[in-house]
Amino acid sequence: MKYFGTTVADIFNTMPKRFKPEEAKDVDIVIGYEATGPGGGKWKATIKHGTLKVETVEGELEGCNTMIQADAETFVGVTLGKITAIDALTNQKLRVVGDVKLLMTLLPKVFIPYSIIPEKKEVTARDILSTVRDRFRADKAAGVIMSFGYDLAGEGGGQWSIIIKDGQCTVKEGLEDNLNVKMTMDASTYVGMMTGTLDAVTAFTSGKVKIDGDMMAAGATAKYFNKYVDPNAQEAEELLSLKVVTSVGMRFATGPVMGKWFAGLKEKKLLANVCPSCKRTQIPPREICAFCHVRAGEYKELGPEGTVNNYDVVYYASPDPLTGVVRDTPYAGIFVVLDGATPEDAFSFELKKEDIPRLKKGVRVRPVWAEKPKGHFSDILYFEIIS
Amino acid sequence: MKKHRKNRNVAITGIGQTALSSHKEDQNQVEMVHEAVRSALEDAKLTLDDIDCVVHGNMELFEMQFQPDMWHALGSGAYGKDEYRITTGGTTGATVVCAADNLVASGMYETVLAIGFEKLQEANTTGGITNMADPLWFRHLQTGALTATTATEMIEEFGEKRARRAAMKYRIMMDKHAMLNHRAHRRLGLEYEQMEDLMKNSPQLVGELRLIHMCSQSDGACAMIFTSEDSVKKKGTAQPPVWIRDHETSHREETMSNLFGFKKPKMTHRDCAEKLFKRNGIKDPVEYFDVFEMYDPSAWWAVDWLREFFLLKADEHLQLLESGAFDLDGKCPINPSGGVIASNPIGATAMLRPAEAAMQIRGDAGPHQIKKNVQHALASGFGGTLWTVLIMLEKDLNW
Repeated sequence: MKYFGTTVADIFNTMPKRFKPEEAKDVDIVIGYEATGPGGGKWKATIKHGTLKVETVEGELEGCNTMIQADAETFVGVTLGKITAIDALTNQKLRVVGDVKLLMTLLPKVFIPYSIIPEKKEVTARDILSTVRDRFRADKAAGVIMSFGYDLAGEGGGQWSIIIKDGQCTVKEGLEDNLNVKMTMDASTYVGMMTGTLDAVTAFTSGKVKIDGDMMAAGATAKYFNKYVDPNAQEAEELLSLKVVTSVGMRFATGPVMGKWFAGLKEKKLLANVCPSCKRTQIPPREICAFCHVRAGEYKELGPEGTVNNYDVVYYASPDPLTGVVRDTPYAGIFVVLDGATPEDAFSFELKKEDIPRLKKGVRVRPVWAEKPKGHFSDILYFEIIS
Repeated sequence: MKKHRKNRNVAITGIGQTALSSHKEDQNQVEMVHEAVRSALEDAKLTLDDIDCVVHGNMELFEMQFQPDMWHALGSGAYGKDEYRITTGGTTGATVVCAADNLVASGMYETVLAIGFEKLQEANTTGGITNMADPLWFRHLQTGALTATTATEMIEEFGEKRARRAAMKYRIMMDKHAMLNHRAHRRLGLEYEQMEDLMKNSPQLVGELRLIHMCSQSDGACAMIFTSEDSVKKKGTAQPPVWIRDHETSHREETMSNLFGFKKPKMTHRDCAEKLFKRNGIKDPVEYFDVFEMYDPSAWWAVDWLREFFLLKADEHLQLLESGAFDLDGKCPINPSGGVIASNPIGATAMLRPAEAAMQIRGDAGPHQIKKNVQHALASGFGGTLWTVLIMLEKDLNW
């Protein structure tokens, strides 16, 4: 059963050829695939320290860390990029049991993407002759009565007659009697002339085409028909995408207010500034209070402990904004009201990975500092839950 | 009180949009913009000679193409005309509309062409959104536009069952609308029976924000034509004119974390709606508006924001949602187009809201047209740290 011009089996058959062992040195995983419906089946791919084993499975898929399930059509569509993976995941036509980010991170790394090598379809004389009636221009052939035959030798050859009469055009197999003209040539010569790779006059003068009957009629046939267009020729249109990687180093000035904040980090202090008007604390400090429009010059150390009021536990593998490397999931961002802060001012940071299972609203947390703080955001490693 | 007076009335007289999809490899940006511009001109039965000025916008950080308006001049038709580039992040499309309205209202130009576009397939959204954050402190914490904080708050306020069902009701309602809009990007064919399955089994992105709840990344462009009341009356219009009654923009201070202290600040959505409705004497927005095209990046945000935009209290928004008031045949349908959840070409997204709302007023939206008469429409844009733009559209020039 073919979908988008290929089969599920072909995707698995080509897997060993597409495998990149050097990218899979540290990988140890067993992936189960189940393609349901016509053309489906079950496969198991074992990737272990740069080796790959692909096997078909009858019965239950066992011993897999991750399972990928889809109907065969979705499976092929997603593999070829004809169906967007995220859409298929959204409407549940594609289901991943286990680690979803595998689809977006690991698989593209260890496999060369699957693609179909397009079968170049050769145009045959029969293909061209089957379009004759559609290409016929009744307006140019009004009052014309004419019949001409083609005797085409070699592969894809045969004999055909084209009859124009009463503003109608008919194509028949075989050579009719009383043809105005008969043209004899190789089928490949005919295809070449019709697709424009061979010049008709050259073909005639070089003896590739033999004309019996009314020579003028042979020359006139072209004007009764629209030009033949090779439907495969459109594929030659070049639609490319250019791949560009942009990476630039940047420098930002802190100014005196954020300078104070970073200087505080060096001493393991979390410094807020206080609005002289509404008295709210601002962390990190801001140049003015946005509500009162006044300068906030007084500084106050907050925390370091605080209470979590909201949080995000992230499962979706998004790249680390500073390195571009996809982070390990899950990770958690927390919104903490530090001790001594006014109630509208929360501070956000990352929580220690091991503490995620205990994370809930109201838990108490404290920062864990780097050994030698140097006035940089990496001075705080993470916040941890105080048990 | 800041001075706020419109010099003259402005009408939307032409609307064009491309199909919205995840892939547009058959066109480059210039060609995609051109498709939308051409379709807006055809809609208005105008030519480029009738256009005095072009306003062009997208989120430049996404495609990393600074001054895209220069590259696009061949597709936008801006060559030799006055042109403004607007790039206000998520709100871009709505801000482009506000700017075009103001440019015509000021008397500077008779007819202005506005364009919003994005080719997210060529873009790096997480990179763009991350680089938008304050580089001194927040950039290393910012990981894109995904958050479950609203889901957590709604579950706390309304209980797990009711909150999850409300988000799924909204999501499936949007898909039902998108199924009627042939231009929409994601049309999944969801049914309400799938609610329980999806809320449990859809992959978790962040906390209770699941894949099913979140908007797409799309390619697409939208173009609109704005003309003065004088021109409309002198020259007539090919389509029924849709009048821009008023618009308002609200921003807040640029930090996200102080949204989540013990004391919650007033949301920009509510602030913006209060100002706009007060200025225009709208007492009961749910009663007044016949349609609201809302910028809804996720189902959780959408449900929560309806309370803010419509100035509702407690669970009034949930009651309206649950009773079908926001369905296509309800009292005040939300996003007949399928909304941002279905299609999200970011620079065009906030423009598609007033564009779709205007089509509803004209009555020619197609299969997703609201069946009853649409007189008054509201449209919103969203971006950054909850920036909000609200635009009011009217069928008749009678306020």
